[in-house]
Amino acid sequence: MSHAVHGEIDLEVVRELVSHLTFSDHQEAQELILAALQEINEHFGWVSPEAAEIVADHLGTTVNRIYGLLTFYADFRTEPRGKHFMLLCHGMSCYVLGSQNLVQDLQDRYGIADGQTTADGELTVQVVNGCLGVCDRAPIVKLDDDFHGNLTPDSLNDAIQRAIAARRANGSPPHGNSSVRAG
Amino acid sequence: MATAASAPANDAARLSSRDEFVAFRSAANDRWSRLWDAKSSVISVGVGSCSIAKGALQVLAECRRLGGDATVRQVACNGACFLEPWVEIKRPNEPPVIYSNIEPGEVQALLTGQLEDRAAGVRAADAHRGIPPLDSLPFFKHQQRIVLANTGIIDPDSIEDAVARGAYSAYFKVLFELTAEEAIAEVTAANLRGRGGAGFPAGIKWESGRKARATPKFVVCNSHEGEPNVYKDRRIHEGDPHRILEGILIACVVCGAERGYNYIGGEYPLAIARFRRAVADAERFGLIGKNILGSGKDVAFRVRTGGGAYICGEGSALMYSIMGVRGQPRTKPPRSVEEGIWKRPTVANNTETLANVPDVILNGGAWYASIGTPKSAGTKLMTVQGALKTMGLVEVPMGTTLGTLVNEIWGGMRDGHRFKGIQTGGVSAGPLTADHFDLPVDFDSLTDVGGMLGSGGFAVFDESVCAVDYARYLTAFNRYESCSKCVPCRLGNPALVEILDRIRFGRGTMDDLVLMERTSKHIIELSLCGLGQVAPAPLLGMMKMYADEFRSHVVDGVCPAGVCPIGGAEAVLAAGD
Repeated sequence: MSHAVHGEIDLEVVRELVSHLTFSDHQEAQELILAALQEINEHFGWVSPEAAEIVADHLGTTVNRIYGLLTFYADFRTEPRGKHFMLLCHGMSCYVLGSQNLVQDLQDRYGIADGQTTADGELTVQVVNGCLGVCDRAPIVKLDDDFHGNLTPDSLNDAIQRAIAARRANGSPPHGNSSVRAG
Repeated sequence: MATAASAPANDAARLSSRDEFVAFRSAANDRWSRLWDAKSSVISVGVGSCSIAKGALQVLAECRRLGGDATVRQVACNGACFLEPWVEIKRPNEPPVIYSNIEPGEVQALLTGQLEDRAAGVRAADAHRGIPPLDSLPFFKHQQRIVLANTGIIDPDSIEDAVARGAYSAYFKVLFELTAEEAIAEVTAANLRGRGGAGFPAGIKWESGRKARATPKFVVCNSHEGEPNVYKDRRIHEGDPHRILEGILIACVVCGAERGYNYIGGEYPLAIARFRRAVADAERFGLIGKNILGSGKDVAFRVRTGGGAYICGEGSALMYSIMGVRGQPRTKPPRSVEEGIWKRPTVANNTETLANVPDVILNGGAWYASIGTPKSAGTKLMTVQGALKTMGLVEVPMGTTLGTLVNEIWGGMRDGHRFKGIQTGGVSAGPLTADHFDLPVDFDSLTDVGGMLGSGGFAVFDESVCAVDYARYLTAFNRYESCSKCVPCRLGNPALVEILDRIRFGRGTMDDLVLMERTSKHIIELSLCGLGQVAPAPLLGMMKMYADEFRSHVVDGVCPAGVCPIGGAEAVLAAGD
């Protein structure tokens, strides 16, 4: 989960993160490129060009190569996330129980498809082609830190609205208990 | 050093001879016996990524807070996701009882004996106080657990628990008692075939790895598992990480590899954390490193994680990913046992395959070959999903019938859902119907009728799912996950999705069905790697099995399931677009 203020990447933190990645030769350095990007993406929700440059310098490679990786591997983002981040599971178990309707409803109601953020910057959705592994509550999403299962388009919309309202009331993203809430 | 694998070893704990390991193992056994013979209760909570989503961590915290003098332990998912969050209570002089679906607020009542109606089963051979043995439940009755023998029983973060349940004993045998040839002979005799889907015999692969002359050599465990309905390898990592590590280390020793790798899908943080912990512990106790247990053998280890690209489950793509480049497969030969990671001989096996190795070595190849069917020995981890009564992961002997899986283990369809078909082989094969329920599930039997075992992930679907729409979903997955290297796959799969969309919107013709078959044939025959070569298989399977449904879309302009936007004004973007 993103620990940082939405959107901003503190390059000092990036330098600190990559400084732990040490290596004995250039081969090992190359093996660590993905790991470095994963740490940054995990921490900030995306990887900026400046952050990519720090990784490239530290591991002896080029920014071009880093962007080749960022645009190939689905987990990485090259743009900041919205204030809320949602993983929408579109694995087979969720599909056969209607996750396509959720994808469609996000498009209709919020105007966002996979990887996109709403115009007001509130919500980013990432459609997971793999599987979140909580198939007995399919279709399921992970919204910020909370799972919401057995969803219909309306109950998903309720969950999103509740999360937004809770953040506005508290002034910070909701950090829940990571358990499945009633659909 | 950055990775847990290369953290400096704490020499105080290091076991430097075989005697020291034997002493460590016997101390671990004593500790394990004392735990279960204690005068106070032992409370175990199943904590995996599946149960954390349902509040298992809060249940564990409540057990710790309210448990009094009981020993409270964290264990992992035992496969029965429908019981979660579950709590196992072993009271003095009683067998362990598993209680199901415990909410954090119910722990107090549970511990004071007020939730006896939630007792799902006892972990013992006989019923106790009217509670049936867990193994008599339909979900467990058909299972034979080798790979999952310890999941839900040991604390995955405890190397002592793992050792007490047999971990590293096979490794010890390979280090000191067997020659490499003898070890490989057991794996060959076991007829242990690759669990990733291809079914290639592990013994033959190891033999080629051992004979490869270039050095250094590597062993890599493929724990990528990017299919949209499979989480078996994730559960082994979460439940019994030392079993996988031991399998990799054994492969390293017998193949003469200098370093083992485990490449884990990046979307499994808990699996990665528990596996890294296992590697760090194994290193601390001297099971990884130089001169292991004084045997004179050296093995190094590295954990690498993926970035959410399904194609990285393909062998050569996985190795490119480890080397820090885009995971795009290459043509073969050379095979990876000739040129793999850093152009060195590399033996690549699936996680489940390697997780079977310790038992094969300990109990012998003949024992393993006696389980399952003659051509498909051993057990298989299976997940069947959809609107079924139960959910979870099971380990059954190869050859268990499709009907047993669906109707007995998973309890059949939920009320209000009517069975229509079952998609087999993940995204790499076609669907089967109730007519095929008598077929044994093994490497070969499903292939003749258009299905496939694959990595063991099946999904049932009901009448509310349209075959055309499902075919579009499966084809779109393969299109999205295509690495874009070779033309047939890069352009062919989008073309198939486009045609399917035309049909979904009611603008398809009979010619489109012919066109899809022809395009599929081109993709299958001309694609470079395994992804492209099977990408159209689900579509072809759907077209064959539900030909009438495709016809009614194009001829009558009707979607029988009422799913497709026939007559819709414009193409609507969906996932993966």
